[in-house]
Order: sequence, then structure tokens, then C-alpha cells
Amino acid sequence: VMRPMSCPQFASSFAGESAVPSNLLLPTNLVDPSRTKRPPPSADCSLPVLRTCDAAIPAHLSPIQTWVETLERQDSEPVGVAQLHPDVFAVQPRLDILHQVEIWQRNFKRISHAHTKVRSEVKGGGRKPWNQKGGGRARHGSIRSPIWRGGGVSHGPRGPTSYYYMLPMKVRVQGLKVALSSKMTQDYLHIVDSLNIPTPDPQYLLDLIRHRHWGQSVLIVHVGEELPENILQATADMKTVNIIPAIGLNVHSMLKHEALVLTMETVQFLEEKLLWHDKRYTPLYPFKLPYSDL
Amino acid sequence: MSFPKKPGGKATDILQNLPRITLANLRPEPGSKKLEQRRGRGQHGGNRSGRGHKGERQRGNRPRLGFVGGSTPFYLAIPKYGYNEGHSCRPQYQPLSLKRLQYLIDLGRVDPTQPIDLTQLVNARGVTVQPLKRDYGVQLVDEGADIFAAKINIEVQRASEGAIAAIERNGGVVTTSFYDPISLGILIKPVPFFLRGQPIPRRMLPGEDMVPYYTNAENRGYLADPEKIQQARLALAQKYGYILPDISKDELYHMLSMRKDVRQIFFGLAPGWVVNMTEKKILKPTDEKLLKYYSS
Repeated sequence: VMRPMSCPQFASSFAGESAVPSNLLLPTNLVDPSRTKRPPPSADCSLPVLRTCDAAIPAHLSPIQTWVETLERQDSEPVGVAQLHPDVFAVQPRLDILHQVEIWQRNFKRISHAHTKVRSEVKGGGRKPWNQKGGGRARHGSIRSPIWRGGGVSHGPRGPTSYYYMLPMKVRVQGLKVALSSKMTQDYLHIVDSLNIPTPDPQYLLDLIRHRHWGQSVLIVHVGEELPENILQATADMKTVNIIPAIGLNVHSMLKHEALVLTMETVQFLEEKLLWHDKRYTPLYPFKLPYSDL
Repeated sequence: MSFPKKPGGKATDILQNLPRITLANLRPEPGSKKLEQRRGRGQHGGNRSGRGHKGERQRGNRPRLGFVGGSTPFYLAIPKYGYNEGHSCRPQYQPLSLKRLQYLIDLGRVDPTQPIDLTQLVNARGVTVQPLKRDYGVQLVDEGADIFAAKINIEVQRASEGAIAAIERNGGVVTTSFYDPISLGILIKPVPFFLRGQPIPRRMLPGEDMVPYYTNAENRGYLADPEKIQQARLALAQKYGYILPDISKDELYHMLSMRKDVRQIFFGLAPGWVVNMTEKKILKPTDEKLLKYYSS
């Protein structure tokens, strides 16, 4: 199975120059034989199962097994095995829902402030410039009509327009599930036991990512308010490696970053929140108000 | 099939071999984005811009809707009759069939061991009542009377005879009671009402035209005489041909005989009380005048 490559082998005919020009931009979708795919853990694996699904899995589906890695060492040996819920991490890859949610995320916040003046709003132009007849010139009623230079715009953008709309809640939830599943199937999802790093040095993370061939950009998702300071300091000034809380997980960020790193508590949180929507009743009043049974 | 299906199906196998899904790879489902019609542009949209040829059509001077060239139009020739007169004042009742009620009980959404109220039905999402659209509550409908088999204490706003017979045949109790629109709104969505911080109001008594309905024992009205209701139960049992089970010997007799007071909206709460949801407290009035007003 082929994967995008990080550093192609080029041979240069000029003796003095280096193999890869420095301003070469390669698409990351190129074939990369060096990024080997580690096969998913089989049933008879020596490593311990660190996490099982809390929610009930439907009888016709089986949980997904993934490796659990660690950030404390640079080597890429997995520490354990985790089981993920198939209804969150292996749903149908609905690319149309992903597209819908991505476009919604871009546009629902948009307010375009473009505004042009109509002929009645442009300063002046109340008086008829010259008589209707007798001048030899074309007839006009005001100097600010849209035909005139300096006149108003007939059908231009009018005022701040809002492009706000909401997709149904379940569509947005399904978008998150589809994004997580596509990261899972394409091997860009990595589960990590905790976010403890030995040094607050950003170079350590970059070396780790390069060594494990995770990709150009990594999105780390955590849960809870307390975080080890090392990772916060390391990711603070880095553009390509970003850390966000689990409530901030969104389709755009997931698609923008190549790799997604989740801790086991994050997986627990996400499963709980995303699976709740499959079984809930329709709301009588907004969910923010207290419900006794939901 | 007995062996577990692979989650995601064939699509995930294909996806594993395809390039990474990125922001550059997304596109809408083919056929979902239909281009909007732009008048007056291009060879086919231009020229007359879809307005036709000359005349009122192209020049935008067509007469008003309903005009038929000068003779008396249809909407004036037909005489008026009060089909829809006062339609916005007529009370409407959302129908609830016994089939649906049995479905809800079987799925466990409605608890038959507690008195079934409109709040319980709405919490179970069994009915949707819109008090702002002149809905005055829920009416029981006969459909599913032959398959109905549950002993319940139900309180609705209207009930058909067949539905009353079906419920009493199984040893249950039906009551019809009146809720004015404000009380109905509170009954359906109690939590937003409690968050408002207002005291629970008194339920109003029915208007002149509804009093005969709710004082009639055959409709099991809440204002009717209990003895007459018992006689009506026997009469109905004779009419429909079933033996009326004796409720007083039932173990759930206490629950089946729970009725709301005429001015009460919720079972455990009396009018005048204020419910504080954040601190989980109930505040009751102590002033004499207030107590006299709320208990009258």
C-alpha cells in the first residue's frame, strides 16, 4: 500500500548543487515507499489492551483495534492496544457530508461588509442637470444615475450581508464521525497514552514526527484543563503542530492537519459525546436547559 | 448474516488506497449544486430574458390575481358561507390513538405504573402539542382498541367512547380535564416555565360551552359526580359487552385513583408555589391573601 513521501530521491546532473532545490514544493499526495504501514494488531498480540469501549457496540459490528503509542521516547514501538467504537471511527466515508460541513464552517461566520451607494444615497443629484429639450444633449434626470460616471451602483452589494445558516446538529456530528473515520482508515490517526514529553524543546517533537513518518502537520487533541507544561511550551511557537481541546475539534482542522493525535481520555470523551446523538430524543427546548432524563 | 459485518464496508477498503482526504480534495456530491438561473445573460437567457413577446407579459403590466378580463371573477361570484368562520377560535385536540399509546408503553417510553399525564406523553415524544395553534390538548381515538392491553391511569382532554371502553375493559381509568392555553403551555414544557421563576398559576375552569362536556359522566369529565361516573362505567360495560373489572381490589388502586385537583396543574405541586431548579428548592407562599387566592 503506497503512502505519500516526505523526501524524494532526486539525482542532479550538476555536480555542485544539492539534490533537492530548496524552493521545491511537492504535493504530499505523492507515493512514498518509506512510510510503511504497520498492520493493525491481531487478536493474539502480546501488548496489553489499554482501553476498551464503554458504550455498547452493536452485535453486527466489532470494535476497531489500534496501536497505542507513547511520546516519551523517540522510537516508534507501540505501548499497547486500544479498542475504538466502530460507530464513531468506522462509519461510511460520506465525503459529501464532509464537504457540506467544511463549507458550512467557512461560511456561517462570514459577514461581508461590502456596501455600495445607490443613486439615491450618492451625494447630490437631486436637480435635473439641464432642460429636457433644447440642449442637443441626451436627456437626464440626475447626475448620479447609474449611467453616469460617479453615479450610484444599481445592483451592487448592499450593506453587511450575513451568510449565516446552521446545518442540522446530527449532520455536523456525522461530519465529525466521518472525518475521524477517514483519518482512521487512511492511517493518519494515532492514539497516545498521555501527552508527557521529556523536554519542552520543539525540535524533539519535530524529530519524533519525522522519525515516525506522521506527516507534515499534526493536530493534538486533549481533554481536561490540566496539561503537562512541556507540550504546551513545545507547540506554542510551532505552526504545523497544534494542540486543541476536545471541544474545539472540528472538520476543518482535521482536514488541514495531516495527522491527528488523540489521547485515550480524548477518545473516551469523543465517543461519549458523539454516540449520545444516535440515541437521544428530539429536543423539546434547547439542550442547554436542564433535562431530567436525557 | 451471522458473522460480523466489517464496519464501513467496501468503501473503507477503497479509501485506504486513495490519497489523503484534504481541503483540496473535497467536492460536493455531483448533482447537488444546481446553478441558479441568470436572466438576461447569454444566447438563451438573454434577448427577452424569459418574459415572452410584447404585451402585458413582457412589460410587467398584468392585472391582479383573480381578474378574469372584466366579468365577475370566481372569487366574487361564489357566495360567502361560514366554513372557516371563527376557525382560529375553535379548539383543536391532537389525536392519540390507542395503537400509538400501546406502542409507547411497549417500548418503555411511557410508564404505566404512574398516572399518565400530558407531560409524560410529551416527554416520551408520543404527541406534539402546539398551544399557540389553538391546541387545547390531546384526544383519545379508537384506532387500536382491539389490540390495547394495558392498565393505566390516563388523563386527556377529549376521549371517544370506544377508547374509554377499551381502557376500562383492561382495568384502567380515564379522566377528561380542561387546561386553558397558558396552563397547557406550562404543562407541556415545565422546565422552561420553572426557569422563568414565576409561581405556578391556577388552572382556569372551562368556558361556558365546555362546561357541559366536562360535567358529563359519560365523557368521564373531571367536574362530574363520582357516583354517576361509576354508573356510566357499568352502562358502558354493558353496552360494549365486557365485564367491568373491580379496581378497588387492585394492588395499584392508590395510583389508579390519583386525580388532580380542579385548580392543580402538576401532580405534586400546588398553585402558588415557586420551583427553583438551580438550588432544587420549592418556595411556598405564606401571606394570607395569597393563600386564600390560590386555594379558592
